[in-house]
Amino acid sequence: MTRRQKTTTYLIVVPFAILLAFPFFFALVTMFKTNLDLANVEHSPFLYNDLEGGFHWDFWNYATTEHVRFLFEETNYPKWLLNTLMVGAAVVGITLLLAMPAGYALARLAGGWGQSAGVAIFLVYLIPPTLLFLPLSRLITQLDLKDSLWSLILIYPSFTVPFATWLLMGFFKTIPQELEDAALIDGASRLKSLYLIVLPISLPGILTVVIFAFSLCVNEFIYAFTFISSSEQRTVSAGVPNDLIRGDVFFWQSLMAAVLIPTIPLALLYNAFLDRFIKGFTGGAFR
Amino acid sequence: MEAQAARAKPVSGRWRHALERRSVLAPLLIAPAVVFMALVVGVPFAWAIYLSFTDAIGGSLSGNWVGFDNFTNAWQDDNFRRALRNTFIFTLASQAVVLVGAAVLSNFLVRDFRGKWLIRFLVVLPWAAPVVLSTIGWLWLLDSLYSVVNWTLARLHLDNGLVWLLSAVNLEEDAQVPLQWLGRPNLALVAITLVHAWRILPFAVVIFIAGRASIPNEVEDASRIDGATGVKKLWYIDIPLQLPIALVAVLFGIVFTAVDFAVVYLLTRGGPFNSTQVLPTWAYFIGIDGGSLGEGAAISLFLFPLLVVVSVGMLFFARRAQVT
Amino acid sequence: MADVADELVRSSSALTRGDLLKKGTAAAFAIGMFGGLTDKSFGFYGPLKYANKQLSGELRIMQWAHFVPAYDQWLDNTYVKQWGEANDVEVKVDHINNALLYSTGASQVAAQSGHDLFWFISPPSTFQKQVIPVNDIVQEVTKKVGPMSKVARKSTYNPKTKQFYGFPDDYAPDPVQYRRSYLQEAGVSLRTWEDLRKGAPKLKAIGHPVGLGMSNEIDSNMLLTSLLYCYGGFIQNEENRIVIGQGANRKGAIEALQVMRDIYRNGMSDEVFAWTAASNNQAFLASRLSVALNAISIARSAENSGNTALSDDTWLASIPRGPVMRLGNEHVMGVFVIWKFAKNKEAAKKYLVDQQLGYREHFIRSQYYNFPAWTGAIKGGFKSIRQMTAQDTHKPKGKYTILTTIAEKYTTNPGHPGNTTPVIDEIFNTYLIPQMFAVVARGESTPAEAVSSFAQKAQGIYRKWKNQGLV
Repeated sequence: MTRRQKTTTYLIVVPFAILLAFPFFFALVTMFKTNLDLANVEHSPFLYNDLEGGFHWDFWNYATTEHVRFLFEETNYPKWLLNTLMVGAAVVGITLLLAMPAGYALARLAGGWGQSAGVAIFLVYLIPPTLLFLPLSRLITQLDLKDSLWSLILIYPSFTVPFATWLLMGFFKTIPQELEDAALIDGASRLKSLYLIVLPISLPGILTVVIFAFSLCVNEFIYAFTFISSSEQRTVSAGVPNDLIRGDVFFWQSLMAAVLIPTIPLALLYNAFLDRFIKGFTGGAFR
Repeated sequence: MEAQAARAKPVSGRWRHALERRSVLAPLLIAPAVVFMALVVGVPFAWAIYLSFTDAIGGSLSGNWVGFDNFTNAWQDDNFRRALRNTFIFTLASQAVVLVGAAVLSNFLVRDFRGKWLIRFLVVLPWAAPVVLSTIGWLWLLDSLYSVVNWTLARLHLDNGLVWLLSAVNLEEDAQVPLQWLGRPNLALVAITLVHAWRILPFAVVIFIAGRASIPNEVEDASRIDGATGVKKLWYIDIPLQLPIALVAVLFGIVFTAVDFAVVYLLTRGGPFNSTQVLPTWAYFIGIDGGSLGEGAAISLFLFPLLVVVSVGMLFFARRAQVT
Repeated sequence: MADVADELVRSSSALTRGDLLKKGTAAAFAIGMFGGLTDKSFGFYGPLKYANKQLSGELRIMQWAHFVPAYDQWLDNTYVKQWGEANDVEVKVDHINNALLYSTGASQVAAQSGHDLFWFISPPSTFQKQVIPVNDIVQEVTKKVGPMSKVARKSTYNPKTKQFYGFPDDYAPDPVQYRRSYLQEAGVSLRTWEDLRKGAPKLKAIGHPVGLGMSNEIDSNMLLTSLLYCYGGFIQNEENRIVIGQGANRKGAIEALQVMRDIYRNGMSDEVFAWTAASNNQAFLASRLSVALNAISIARSAENSGNTALSDDTWLASIPRGPVMRLGNEHVMGVFVIWKFAKNKEAAKKYLVDQQLGYREHFIRSQYYNFPAWTGAIKGGFKSIRQMTAQDTHKPKGKYTILTTIAEKYTTNPGHPGNTTPVIDEIFNTYLIPQMFAVVARGESTPAEAVSSFAQKAQGIYRKWKNQGLV
């Protein structure tokens, strides 16, 4: 790149990065702030101040880990993180189990109506979930899954499977038919060809599905909130607004810590897989 | 002869043979997904449609038939009409911001430069954060008293400039410093739009990057040979090639924003004075908190037909615009 | 009984949240209040016959996360355990954020399964058809301690169906909390709304404006409805018909709207449209606001913060008087319902009765937040309650006694002079009242138009619930 191109590049990406990431930097600072420092309108929100608002270079003496400690020791936050992880992993598994065969079938075997099926699948996302939780509550109760993480594991695939199917369908289409034909000629059955040939090549697509499905699970909160009532069984998106907001008191510092802690690993994960993800998308759900 | 052979095969062989046929294998592979979706989404959805034609209250899943009353009553309420209008505004405005932002940013993120990994990490953060948690964070950032946004603007001496700008574009006439991002209707609309855009932007950037990567190298080389550069290249080559991808990104963005409940509910609860209600939140306040469940169901379903038409249209258009 | 006293102190001091100062204060409070109560408080349950045994019954209770965390800790870890051991029932209590009580309740109704007892922060009249009437236990308690308070009765009784659909448990009066030094400095009195209207600009001038919210949350709802009462702008009449659009009510409502508009224009800023339920607390605790209308969570938070300059200067007063009357709403009306599908209705009923009869301790443990629905549940009624509140050691001494006056004379239910009907419930939960006030304050509508528009909406909602047979 030329010098000029380099400068313009930095001139664009750096401001974007700042705008997108500054709330998290701010959360990082806030989670260690003392109550008196935070409550004072005059004090800088980006620094740790003494009682008069002055800054000191040994700023760690004016910050506190009390709120983070509170988050981990006096709420069920660690349990929520674990629950979220478990639900996410299980749902990703179920999603792959349902979507891979369906995606393959629609890509290879369904011919003409595969296209329209793809569109139809997508339409599922347009159903507003705000009221669906009521009939689903009835379903959950009849299956005796109320107050259990299994209720979420059962319901979440309903919004991960359509996208996964659609994505995998497009991805499978880009795998040259010749590869499979060669395997078939060699005597393998269709199922075997799916297993031995197609799957390994579609790893990027699968990773894409994993990331996307996991992120959808972590973001969901309406079902997470209404299906599970006891605090220990909640996921992070349901537990945090419930336990860290008490009537008219917001535990701001703990809330900020709660935001940051799952986000950083997830962002690292997404970033690491970003190239694979791009390959997955390029695989072309649109061809 | 074939029939004889078929009869002669052992059962497992016949079964195996059947699996080779498309017409059997295809439905078999699709069936689990379809059955699952039908039970878990189809049935509740149908029930919600049923509820919207009844006078169900309080969470009860049945009521008396009232025909289209819920829909007409909703339409006559100006709060509902405003919610409908807002849903459009948030969705379209935020996606416009996302579209422009993602197009620009993706253009530069494909280049190689030092610190690329870090920049990418920072860009991905809004999308990685669970929406409930990041919105609560924004609640503090836009707080009426403690807003960090206002504090920063004040320290950079940009706040009065912003007030001037707002009245210059006729968005806010007599806003005062510190700006009440969640307390003035138009500012609240802007704030919510920007939070939506902030959240979706990383996702769109990634999709755009994917789209760029899918432009075959031959096209790049050919355009360079032909001397097409800069704006010309952008207009005649880049944009048409990226259009399908862009449409998909926009479509997802539209869908996620139009049915989103969390951002408006957590930031303003539809305020100030019900001026930022959107259909999902208004449906919730009427149907759940207000107890009129049938009416709430009708409100939440209002947008569905429209979204269907839009999505179908966009998807077919995307397919047609393919340059393979 | 020393070990029991230690138990009490330990359980309340070890379990308070927040920073060190808060812990110390709460512990001191506990010792101060509980020093003399140890023997009496356990006598009520009778012998704990089933202690350390396997309990045969099960009772599940859902209620809000009390703003006083120590109350919940005591309730969950001490009270329900002992009640359970005295009655052979395993009791489990779940707490959720009060904003999400309705959606959780709705999902339990949809599922036809859930908790036995469900507590709501305001009379859940929209759930009437999903619960069993509790006339029997209401009568039982009334026989023992006298009639329930008027606010409780109007909140839970439906004159149309002649049933108590909910069992009133507690209510919180809504006092004005103000910074005495600021009011003295600006020379402002809070006796009447007219005084407040005149005083608001003076307070704004010294940098400590009044904080009267007009936003989509509970504080604004309660405050603005109270303002309507004071000016005679009633939404309903005794027969629960919508009357705000006509006659004297219309006139009163218009005046109230004008008062609020003046206060906003000359004395407040746009922030009041953006507030959450916590915002007025936060602004008051940041020493910015001079006046707020809220349950005592503000005063208690001030004490817990350890900032004595703030807490000693925070005084309580009753709502200002309007030209027609001086009247305010309860800030919280805690009502328990027993779902039709509840599994253990017998235990649920006994639990409610026992809790009300022994309410003295709940009153103390909630730091006077929870007033009992039956005033007679505390022996000596309001007189006794006044004496108890007078014992609070925070300065200025006796500041909480005004709560008793407010509870006795100036507290009513939303929908006064009618009942808290589903119509009122829906109006509150869609924030139509703050909307009406805010559009007038911002000049987007004249008071007359706003009242007409509101009345029209209210009429529509009324028709809807009339068709359900509930009004």
